[in-house]
Amino acid sequence: MNYLLDVQDIHTYIGQSYILQGVNLCVPKGTITALLGRNGAGKTTTLKSILGLTPPRQGKIAFEGQEIQGLPSFDIAALGIGYVPEHRSIFRDLSVEENLKIAERQKGDLESKKEMIFSLFPDLKRLITLSGANLSGGQQQMLAVARALVADNRLLLIDEPSEGLAPVIIQNMMTAIRKLSSESTVVLVEQNFLVASHLAEYYVIIEEGRSVKEGKMKDLVNDHETIHRYLGAT
Amino acid sequence: MKADLRKNLVLWLTLLALTIFFVAAASGMETKDWVITLLRTLSVGAVTFLVASGFSLIFGLLDVLNLAHGTLFMIGAYIGWSVYVRPDTFVDLLAPVLLLASGFTLSRLWNHLSKRIQMKGKAIRMLSWAGLLLSALILSYVLPRYPISIWDVGNYGQSPITYSFMANQGLSLLPPEVSFEAISPIVAALGLLLASLLAAFSLSLFRWGGQSAPNLRWQSFAGFAGVFGMGLMALFANDSLTAFLTGLDTTWLFLISLLVAALSGALLGGLMESTLIRPLYSRPIYQLMITLGLSAVGIEVVRTIWGRPEFVMPKPSLFNSTGAGCPATSLAGWAQNHCSIILLFDGRVRVYNEIFIPIVGFLVLITVWLLLQRSRLGMIIRAGVQDSEMVEALGINVRRTFTLVFALGVGLAALGGALAAPSMGLSTVMGESLMLNALIALAIGGLTSYPGAALGSLLVGLLQQFIIKYGVIGIHIPFTDIIFKPTPPLVPASTVMLMVIILLILPNGLLGKKE
Repeated sequence: MNYLLDVQDIHTYIGQSYILQGVNLCVPKGTITALLGRNGAGKTTTLKSILGLTPPRQGKIAFEGQEIQGLPSFDIAALGIGYVPEHRSIFRDLSVEENLKIAERQKGDLESKKEMIFSLFPDLKRLITLSGANLSGGQQQMLAVARALVADNRLLLIDEPSEGLAPVIIQNMMTAIRKLSSESTVVLVEQNFLVASHLAEYYVIIEEGRSVKEGKMKDLVNDHETIHRYLGAT
Repeated sequence: MKADLRKNLVLWLTLLALTIFFVAAASGMETKDWVITLLRTLSVGAVTFLVASGFSLIFGLLDVLNLAHGTLFMIGAYIGWSVYVRPDTFVDLLAPVLLLASGFTLSRLWNHLSKRIQMKGKAIRMLSWAGLLLSALILSYVLPRYPISIWDVGNYGQSPITYSFMANQGLSLLPPEVSFEAISPIVAALGLLLASLLAAFSLSLFRWGGQSAPNLRWQSFAGFAGVFGMGLMALFANDSLTAFLTGLDTTWLFLISLLVAALSGALLGGLMESTLIRPLYSRPIYQLMITLGLSAVGIEVVRTIWGRPEFVMPKPSLFNSTGAGCPATSLAGWAQNHCSIILLFDGRVRVYNEIFIPIVGFLVLITVWLLLQRSRLGMIIRAGVQDSEMVEALGINVRRTFTLVFALGVGLAALGGALAAPSMGLSTVMGESLMLNALIALAIGGLTSYPGAALGSLLVGLLQQFIIKYGVIGIHIPFTDIIFKPTPPLVPASTVMLMVIILLILPNGLLGKKE
């Protein structure tokens, strides 16, 4: 089978700590894949390793058939990977519009995507001149996702989109992510199993730096034993 | 939100208190005294700002505390002096510098070529060392034979002091031109070009691997053609270029020297970042040590080239006349006679120091502000100051921005040095007190805030100048007959006091943001 993203047995160190001890991850094109697991299992590090922000010491990562491990992060991202980090990392000194504009890889990217972005997140339209520092958590999350959509990205790495948001806003965010997955492939890290199970088609469970189980989400939902064992909740 | 409001309230109250303090200080003086104090503040503040803003841009984006910044300011002053007083030396140096730089403008070609090489890492490393060695050999043959007319530190009659003195008298007694004897100019040009190409290619081999090969377009060669062409022009039109510069009015020559100092500073900064700082981003202590070491090395290099003694730099003709009609009583009078001094409320205002320097400082402030706010580069800098990892994750080559910002910061310091040289004079330690002032200004204004650098520089200048002035006229202590005259050591002490007070009230400085 041909995967958009194919991660094979990566091992990543942060400083002296051995964080990823063998993660495999295959992402079919046009799907949402959820990375599940407890806090500190290595989900965020997996995303960062794909992007080269914490480059793996061993293993292979192929994106659209091209090996990308060892490339500098900006080269990896420029191949067509968008990143929505855990704490959103909205640029506070930039206006909402600048926050979007900075993600352009070619002049005019933002102009051509504006309509699509505003249809996903209508609220951003009236916030466009506001400074990034003055946004609420939910608005920041919308902007962070929108920012990843400005350039022509075939793969989106989204880290904890529901973290710290009110239930209504989580609903909106889920709708948006589902909509955008029709155009690009998504890898989602999500603590909230309810959210993940509603969004994702596939899952990979990471436990202590290893990928231990993978499959279709609809099978996992009924597998209470696995959920209890690896995710510690129902 | 509430904490925000409270912080802003504290900020406004602090600013109000400072304003009241300085207005009270001004009200104790006669008009002419406080007017001149304010003008001097602007002068000192402008120079401090040029150092502080570059330092804060570099620290903000790269997290590098560039302790060599004061030394680079000083080097800028010496470069400015050299262009201004010895344009022939500058022209002689222009050709070899441009030819040597030309190879490095072809980085795309080198990246492209190094992708084609199919060799093991060890062989590649051997190859690049061999290339560097060969390049050094060629240089060691060409450079000693290359004729450059320069002053002689060991000989008083031809030392910088003498040339400066003569220029100040309006005499431009340049020594006779040296010409190509030991080596033909064509061999010299080819040798320099070859050495440059070899060195640039070998250095790019060190970074072998990683990036995908860039596509070659004709634009990749445009920079090379430009730099190489200018180098050849400087080589073969040497005499006419020298004649043109020496014939120029000193005001224009001075503006050229400012530009050259800023550009050389930027070049120096770019080189420093890409060779010495870049390998040390993950080791902050080593960074501190290398910038501190470079600062000492820079001072010694300047002492070797320009000599140990201090000397003055003549002011450009627009601000240098003391003849008929001087001191001028109005701007119109100044414009007519180009006086060095204007009388303002009966106070003697030095036009260059107290009017020209603040104007240049203000222009730079606005230009850099526009660059930061309006350009894409500025957007990347502002974003990178907060989170350079995220900027990289958007597909932007932050490392290249790092080099640009380092070059910009050092260029600003060098410009400041060249600008301050006619008013401060040239000495190898001129950067040290200024660096201290700049650091205090940044602590007061907020370390990574650009408007903070401007505000801090202004406050430091204001406090120092008021104390200096009161040191002359004395403060009458109310209800007593005592007249207190602040002594000179109080000047630096007072700025530290101000810093301590402000940091106690606002730990991030006036306009600094919480980390």
